[in-house]
Amino acid sequence: MEIGPIFRALLRNKLGALLIALQIAFTMTVIINAVFIINERNRLMARPSGLDESNLFHITVIGFGDDYNEEIVAADDLAMLRQTPGIVDATVINAIPVSGGGSSTGVRLINDETSPSTGTAIYRLDEHGLNTLNLDLIAGENFTATDMRLRYESGPTEADKAVVTRALVESLFDGMAPADVLGEVMYMPGGDVVQIVGVVDRLQAPWPTSQLVERSMLVPENYIDSFSRYMIRTEPGQRDRMMAEVERMLVERGQDRVVRDMEAMEVTRANTYRVDSALTTILRVVVATLIVINCMGIVGLAVFSINRRKKQIGTRRALGATRPEILRYFLLENLFITIAGVALGAVLTIALSIVLTTNFNMPTMAWYYTPLGALLLILVGQLSALGPSARAAGTEPAIATRSV
Amino acid sequence: MLEMIDICKVYRTDLVQTHALRDFSLSVQEGEFVTITGPSGCGKTTFLNIAGLLETYTSGSYQLDGVEVSQLNDFKRARLRNEKIGFIFQSFNLMPDLNLFDNVDVPLRYRGLKASERKPLIEKALESVGLAGRMKHLPSQLSGGQQQRVAIARALVGSPRFLLADEPTGNLDSNTARGVMELLQEINELGTTIVMVTHDQELARESRRNIHILDGQIHEENGRGEMSSSASAVA
Ligand SMILES: Nc1ncnc2c1ncn2[C@@H]1O[C@H](COP(=O)(O)OP(=O)(O)O)[C@@H](O)[C@H]1O
Ligand SMILES: [Mg+2]
Repeated sequence: MEIGPIFRALLRNKLGALLIALQIAFTMTVIINAVFIINERNRLMARPSGLDESNLFHITVIGFGDDYNEEIVAADDLAMLRQTPGIVDATVINAIPVSGGGSSTGVRLINDETSPSTGTAIYRLDEHGLNTLNLDLIAGENFTATDMRLRYESGPTEADKAVVTRALVESLFDGMAPADVLGEVMYMPGGDVVQIVGVVDRLQAPWPTSQLVERSMLVPENYIDSFSRYMIRTEPGQRDRMMAEVERMLVERGQDRVVRDMEAMEVTRANTYRVDSALTTILRVVVATLIVINCMGIVGLAVFSINRRKKQIGTRRALGATRPEILRYFLLENLFITIAGVALGAVLTIALSIVLTTNFNMPTMAWYYTPLGALLLILVGQLSALGPSARAAGTEPAIATRSV
Repeated sequence: MLEMIDICKVYRTDLVQTHALRDFSLSVQEGEFVTITGPSGCGKTTFLNIAGLLETYTSGSYQLDGVEVSQLNDFKRARLRNEKIGFIFQSFNLMPDLNLFDNVDVPLRYRGLKASERKPLIEKALESVGLAGRMKHLPSQLSGGQQQRVAIARALVGSPRFLLADEPTGNLDSNTARGVMELLQEINELGTTIVMVTHDQELARESRRNIHILDGQIHEENGRGEMSSSASAVA
């Protein structure tokens, strides 16, 4: 090995090497943090909502005119929907999970408005809600039709029963098993009492990126305000057909209302995560572009520095260097430059990661990102240098005496 | 030591064929100092490159130290160059980015010696050319004559049996050239076979054997050394 001389010769031609090392450091800093952001977004996007998303869709009915009676209309609509072949179940619901819009509230275990409350999403739906959403009930039981409360703008009547998610149980009742919290009561803002009758495994809040995540509660209520939203679950594979049919049926049922905003849950999810998917796509392009530019820089420097030293290479060959030894020389030279870049890059990567964590509410990057990124860049560097180095190795020894 | 029989070298380009060497036969014995002269383009460097295994030849036979070299692959030729041949070039061909020590070290690096084995060899070689005190200098900090001495130290450091020099004094003024020539003569007296291409008729005349090439063929051979030895044999 000729580590010493290669290194000393490199120090005498710092500028090119330094620029490439800086480029490598910059590339490493950006790509590692970008890959981390991509992975983090993908992880967030991949979290299950708890719903049977591929077979769900929702639709909104808005009544107008003084004669419009939502209470009757909704009951008729739902009865009809539930009887329709191809539909598994349907419910009224105030907010669509994952959609980005809904209600939240704060609940307490003691009736004291000054004590801290626990935030939770609140879904208002009927006794068919659990089955429609296909939630996994892990303790207790579902509501019954008699638990249902209709709330009017004039005189609200709050439901007194709730099904909560496991995540909400964990935040409220430190270390208690879901089965042990059945019958416990929670205090709503204003002092209303709600008793926990069941626990479901998982149901995301309407804002999947919020702090609430899976803290949700379901209550058997329907606001009577001329505005009804139905969530409908179909038999597997029937969704698209049923969407067309349901829209037609609802439209045909009366002239005193509009039917709108029909959307499959999968579309709702795609819309909610549109910015995130766009971001990850952009970051992927950035990462790929930077790697390509990085490769071109390395190839460019290698070609330039090899062409400049053609006669030296010929002389080395004349003095007894074999082709593999010339190849090794230039790969080692590239390795030194890359290692210098990667060392600086590691510092910058961690610095940027700290900035992102502290300023943009990002989680901390796992320790292995930096060494893996460094390894990748060293590999990319060696691969980039391989072509030019192989060409250098092919230099004829006669160059030593031929060119001046 | 060196035995060439009917060597031909043809350079082919798209337009022309150049017969750089034609039926070139030459035998050099161990310990000889042979100078090669001839007009520019007559084939001196071509001969030297073939002799030094830097180039292959088109036809003929060449044995170096009893080994037929046409059969050797690139790897073996490189190894043979490293072990048996020292090169001295007209423009010195030092590595500008390496100090004198590292420059002289270059051929030893390809020989797989340990640092502790190489160091005394390098120091001795630099000492023998009078530059032991400048090991940390860069070539650019030396005069032309000094640079050529470094190149000679580099050629000698691996103790090759055979030294090939292509116009080693071509870039030097006549005084410096003389010094380099004397150094080569000393080296030859210590037993190293030298073949040297030169433009300088005066230097050529000093050698024991001079070969004049014209148009790729040996035109004339002056064997002063041969003659004196045969004369002494007669006497
Ligand atoms: N690589 C080459 N390709 C084509 N022609 C060459 C090449 N090298 C040398 N020649 C030609 O071969 C002839 C001999 O060249 P050379 O041995 O360098 O001459 P000298 O060293 O005596 O000046 C010249 O005519 C030269 O142009
Ligand atoms: Mg020449």
